Amino acid sequence: MSETPRIALKAVTKRFGAETAVDAISLDIAAGEFCVLVGTSGCGKSTTLRMINRLIEHSDGEIHIDGQPIREIDPQRLRRRIGYAIQSTGLFPHWTVARNIALVPGLLKWSRARTRERVEELMDLLGLAPSEFADKYPAQLSGGQAQRVGVARALAADPEILLMDEPFGALDPITRESLQEELRRLQGRIRKTIVFVTHDMDEALKLADRLVVMRAGRIVQQGSPDELLAAPADDFVTSLLGGRDRGLKRAALTPVARLMRRVDAGLPVEPAVAPDEDLRLALSVMLWHRVECLAVVDGRGRVCGSLHLSDLMRAGI
Amino acid sequence: MAVHSSSRAANRVLLVLGLALLAALLTLDLASVAPNRILPGEGVSLWAWLGPWSASVWAFPLLVMAFAWRGSARALVLARVVVVAALALLPWVLAAFAASRVPDASSQARVTLGAGFWVLLFLLLMCWVELHARLRHGLWLVLLPLLSLGLALTQGHLESLALIREYASRSDAFHAALRYHLLLVSAAVGLSLLLAFALALAMRRFPSLRRGGFALLSLIQTIPSLALFGLLLAPLAWLAARYAWLGELGVQGIGWAPALIALVGYSLLPMTRNSVVALDGVDPRVVEAARGMGMSPAQVFWRVRLPLAAPVILEGIRITTVQAVGLAAVAALIGAGGLGTFIFQGLGQAAMDLVLLGALPILALAVAADSLLSALARLTRRQPGREAR
Repeated sequence: MSETPRIALKAVTKRFGAETAVDAISLDIAAGEFCVLVGTSGCGKSTTLRMINRLIEHSDGEIHIDGQPIREIDPQRLRRRIGYAIQSTGLFPHWTVARNIALVPGLLKWSRARTRERVEELMDLLGLAPSEFADKYPAQLSGGQAQRVGVARALAADPEILLMDEPFGALDPITRESLQEELRRLQGRIRKTIVFVTHDMDEALKLADRLVVMRAGRIVQQGSPDELLAAPADDFVTSLLGGRDRGLKRAALTPVARLMRRVDAGLPVEPAVAPDEDLRLALSVMLWHRVECLAVVDGRGRVCGSLHLSDLMRAGI
Repeated sequence: MAVHSSSRAANRVLLVLGLALLAALLTLDLASVAPNRILPGEGVSLWAWLGPWSASVWAFPLLVMAFAWRGSARALVLARVVVVAALALLPWVLAAFAASRVPDASSQARVTLGAGFWVLLFLLLMCWVELHARLRHGLWLVLLPLLSLGLALTQGHLESLALIREYASRSDAFHAALRYHLLLVSAAVGLSLLLAFALALAMRRFPSLRRGGFALLSLIQTIPSLALFGLLLAPLAWLAARYAWLGELGVQGIGWAPALIALVGYSLLPMTRNSVVALDGVDPRVVEAARGMGMSPAQVFWRVRLPLAAPVILEGIRITTVQAVGLAAVAALIGAGGLGTFIFQGLGQAAMDLVLLGALPILALAVAADSLLSALARLTRRQPGREAR
């Protein structure tokens, strides 16, 4: 990598007493990359995350942000330029939504007008109508809404880096899924460097540009979701990836567009899939309707191609 | 109007209270009249005072019972009107009684409140509490009887009441004792708040302090107050003799110094416990988020921890204050002054009205402190509920 990585971990170790929680891990995270640390509980992923904003001090090795060792940066100043979102949000129950979001701008002494403008911008960005939500208290929000506020608060001072510690861990599956979609879309627009910790492999596969699998304080394997699914390093990674469920997981990462034939085979327009839907869904539709090929219909309702089961088999997704 | 759903049925509590009111009116002496402070009084019942006219007074309990029998929301509202009216009229009934029995207010003759009056007041307050729990609250319910009492007092209609005569003959001493009582209580609460908060912070910093600390505070709590005063007597007298400047400050074996120390000692346990529980109770994830966002330790404490702990700390202040108001009365025994002085003087002279002159203001102070601090705690708690999951 020629550019300086946004975040660089060099042989970073964390010991709690006699116990080594993180064992000499090295990791470079490029600017704009969505990096997901995944592993079972107690593997050191959360500790690694919290060392980046110095909530936990590393025992050995070096952590650099934009080439500067973080030990040289005042911890409070460091944290104010890094967004931080955690499970169950940690919103201040005695502050309104707007005041919660304005927390870091307040610490950075932004002007009142600038802060208010930024808060409204973020609430719009995360689909929270300012007129409805600005003056509510966290206890009046649903889990999903509270987590949106948590993300908005993390983004408030427009930090380059966003650390997220199982932010969706306490949400119900439907809310979680829609927030994952939204975070993915949001990342497409704001291009932050995100370090995201989760124990949920499906979530990791869905969100990550790069997956870092950790176990007992060490990095077992890292790479794109596709690389990991294609060649898991060992049995642990395989089991984490869902073992024999892997075929479907990988299909879930591939859009229909990649394998469709760009001809109209004269198939009925029902059942059909869209080009940006994934192959897992396409397989499910085929199974349900007992057909081996599907029409692919784009957003405007036009048939733009067809998808054949035999192509899926040949491609070995 | 917020009304209990089961209020359609007859309200049995009010029915029983109404019966008791009626029984008290019929059987007990309302008050007694004595020619001077020394001679015992002669009891006067409602019937003996008003004769057949006393039936008009029976209307109050009878009305309460009738409305209680109906039990509907509207009937309860009307019952409350009757109860509040009765409470507001009570001082004027006394004034009328005093005027008829002691026509010459400047004489030594005096009216002492009898069992009937106290039972009546107690039962009316019980009715009030029962209705207060079922109906929406209103400030006028408290203010009207108090205003009525205040008016009767300031207009001089109650001058021949023994209680008022006791007050009149020592009003300066009373005001001084009241001020002193308040000063002692506020000094004790203020000091113990500072000490307890420091102690709570220390206990959070060094958890090993907790067990020993709480054991010691609980031990202090178990010492009877008089014994504690006794225990403090010798060391304080010695200190005052040893260091002249302490003596000049007024520190001696008796007086304000041991009283203040004892009050602070008793206040420390509830205050420290509440502060520790309050600070422990702050959601660690909220604190973690605050740190992670880049708040300094001082900002985390003042903007997050303390505001979130405030309601429980205030609760501790409330408990402590109410307790100190009562305990400060006992301190009069060791010459610390305050309203307790009248209680012990009165007991010594078998002058019950003098005892009341000390006891009633203490009661009023305790109730006032309790409601004031509860209201304050509610105010700090106003952010709705806990954090959403």
